[in-house]
Amino acid sequence: MNRNKIFFKKLFVFFLLVLAGNFLMNTVYDHWMYYNRMNRNQDRQFNAMPDTLKYLMLGNSHNIIDPEILGNSFSYVTPRELYPQTYYKLKYILEKTSKRPRYILLSIDPLNFSPKAENDLTFDGYWKKYLDYPEMMRETGHRVYLLNWVTGRFFSYVGNFKFMFNSIPYLRTSFKLIKHGYFPRRNYRNFGQEQNREALGLQRATSYLASYNKTSELGTVRYYGKILDLCKKYHIRPVLLRMPLTDEYLKSAYAMVDIKKLDGEVIAYTRLHSDNFKVFDFRNKFHGRPEYFFNADHVNPIGATIVTKKIKYLLEMTDTDNYTDSLSVILN
Amino acid sequence: MLFNSIGYLFFLPLTVLFYYLLPDRWRRIFLLAASYFFYLLWRAEFVLVLLGATAVSYFAALKMGEISNKKQRRKYLLLTIFVNLGMLVFFKYTGFFTDIVNQLAGIAGNKRLVPVYSILLPVGISFYTFQTIGYTIDVYRGVIKPEKNAGVYALFVSFFPLVLAGPIERGRHLLHQFHAKQSFDPQLFASGLRLILWGMFKKLVIADRLALFVQPVFERPALFHGFEVAFAVFLKLMQVYADFSGYTDIAIGSARLLGFRLSPNFNQPFSAQSIAGFWSRWHISLTTWLRDYVYFSLPFKFRGKNVNWRVQLNLLITFILVGFWHGPYWNFIIFGTLHGTYMILANVFKPVMINFNRISGLSDRPRLLKYLNIMATFLLLFSTGVFFGQHTPADSMTMIRNFADFSDSGAVLMQMVRNNDFMLGLALIIFMLWFESLVATQGFSVKFKARSINIRLSAYLFMLFFLLVFGIFSSQTFFYFQF
Repeated sequence: MNRNKIFFKKLFVFFLLVLAGNFLMNTVYDHWMYYNRMNRNQDRQFNAMPDTLKYLMLGNSHNIIDPEILGNSFSYVTPRELYPQTYYKLKYILEKTSKRPRYILLSIDPLNFSPKAENDLTFDGYWKKYLDYPEMMRETGHRVYLLNWVTGRFFSYVGNFKFMFNSIPYLRTSFKLIKHGYFPRRNYRNFGQEQNREALGLQRATSYLASYNKTSELGTVRYYGKILDLCKKYHIRPVLLRMPLTDEYLKSAYAMVDIKKLDGEVIAYTRLHSDNFKVFDFRNKFHGRPEYFFNADHVNPIGATIVTKKIKYLLEMTDTDNYTDSLSVILN
Repeated sequence: MLFNSIGYLFFLPLTVLFYYLLPDRWRRIFLLAASYFFYLLWRAEFVLVLLGATAVSYFAALKMGEISNKKQRRKYLLLTIFVNLGMLVFFKYTGFFTDIVNQLAGIAGNKRLVPVYSILLPVGISFYTFQTIGYTIDVYRGVIKPEKNAGVYALFVSFFPLVLAGPIERGRHLLHQFHAKQSFDPQLFASGLRLILWGMFKKLVIADRLALFVQPVFERPALFHGFEVAFAVFLKLMQVYADFSGYTDIAIGSARLLGFRLSPNFNQPFSAQSIAGFWSRWHISLTTWLRDYVYFSLPFKFRGKNVNWRVQLNLLITFILVGFWHGPYWNFIIFGTLHGTYMILANVFKPVMINFNRISGLSDRPRLLKYLNIMATFLLLFSTGVFFGQHTPADSMTMIRNFADFSDSGAVLMQMVRNNDFMLGLALIIFMLWFESLVATQGFSVKFKARSINIRLSAYLFMLFFLLVFGIFSSQTFFYFQF
């Protein structure tokens, strides 16, 4: 009996140490992880923006648009962001702040609708502020969101050694380069100088587009519709972007996904939720120009500058207060 | 429910807690209910298959116990084997055999002769059918008496730590443990926790990380060549080991928390000095099962010192069965045939090798000879890995062809070196093999226990947090569940 008591005492001490260690790891990771810091810095900058903000860029890192060129705009894009996250962030902005952008700029690339993106929430430590996990669970039927809720609050460091180690060199970074939420962090790396572009294109395409099948029933797609509904409710015009992709990426992507069919489905679905959207298609804008890319599916700041100028021109050309017109696809 | 799922994180502690809180007479019933609940979570209808296998073997064994006439007993034995193997063949091999029939019909110019149905494989069927067959053969041979308590027998077949992927237990080893009164044993409990931690580490940190590199190569073999293929095959062997031995450690550890000792399934297989040695260290519960119930049951016994070709034939048959047990694919048959052939060749050339070692002086340097043997065995295993990881010979042949293409090898190597997961995977493999050899050495356990409590707690904490930080928590299923 005495032996058992000693054992349970040791087990209890171990359990307490695990709890303490977990609390410490979670707190340190949550505060010092590079992306969390960057995203929170972006939050602070957004709060400091005037309420007259006209353009708001949302979504993931594909949506690289320079707000300084566009003017009166803010880039609220965050790494690996999915539509559910975009929806809750927009909802938060519209319901809890006084900012009312006239346009939101959102990418509608194949990866946004990929089944791989389903259940692939990251950085819950940051997103816990915005997301309504129980509602997401009800909307999509994915119980995994409950796990995301728990992870975000208590175990944000779990399984994240890469982010942990990658954050170390940036511990002293003050993020001064971030302006209007935009961080040209991809430097001026030139994808054209890469030796094995085909392999890199395949690698990037595979990571999100492999095993692409039915998309219409996905939770991410439903949340895409909810973003459009929210825009409608608050009289915001959605500008939907097909961002430039390298030839190498597109070659692999076309082999994995019927992109033409997908584009048609996306437009049809968009029409169900919105009657005043615009689509700017830059997918093949940089055909044969790998030097405008950072990697196979992200433009570098030079490419971003060109795309942003074009977007600015198109927005000025089509700017109207008539919210009932139905401008649809502008090909570039 | 997967061992590496959140559900199991709640299921196991609750089961252990209630098990010890309950009075002894209720414990077995509780464990049986918990085991069926555990199995039900996979797919409710598969419980019927489990129940069928249990009921047939239970009643057949009881009948055999009542009859002394060997011919009569044999009838019941054959009935159990027929029903259990029949279920296994139906669920696992129907597609394979209908394919063969239809392909032959196609060659003869006919259309599809047999309709093709997609049949779902009840998880764990390859394991629990072998367990029930083994039990009835033991009863038939008089090794054990039939289990009269239906609940205990049902628990023996469905016990949750082993129902999904073994170890394939023997009646004589486990049944009496279910009858014995289990009191809480802190040492056994602690060893169970340690095993679970180590098993989780192997699965989540090593196996699932290696899968990141291995999976794309095996899924799209045409796209990869040279070093990529070579490393993918090497890592596949390590991934399967870390995955399956990790699963086994969690299974054995979970059983220990409840006071039961399951049979070991692995014993440092990559330090084997021959293919025969490898199989005495890898999936031990399956190989000993096949040895006891298939190999020794085949006709033609070993006679004399010379190579007996009939014995070699038995060996080949047994290993083709080992391969085929793994799955209804030609690749597994090739895999088993290669292993059987390597063993036969080792037997045939044994005198030549002994002479060679003597003449070359290697027999005077046993340490060097040992390492050379380990390397040679690993190379032979490597040659079979291409077949084990693929389902079709065509894909395996593509990998073998591409393996010879070392163009751009420098750039490919550099890309792999820059890959964090790859480098971390290699480091973890070295750690795993080193640590397991260290634990296997005599006295390690005693020395470790002699250390202060602070050092031991720190070691466990370090291991746990390493697992939490470096693990991949996407609930990847265990590799052997497909079998």
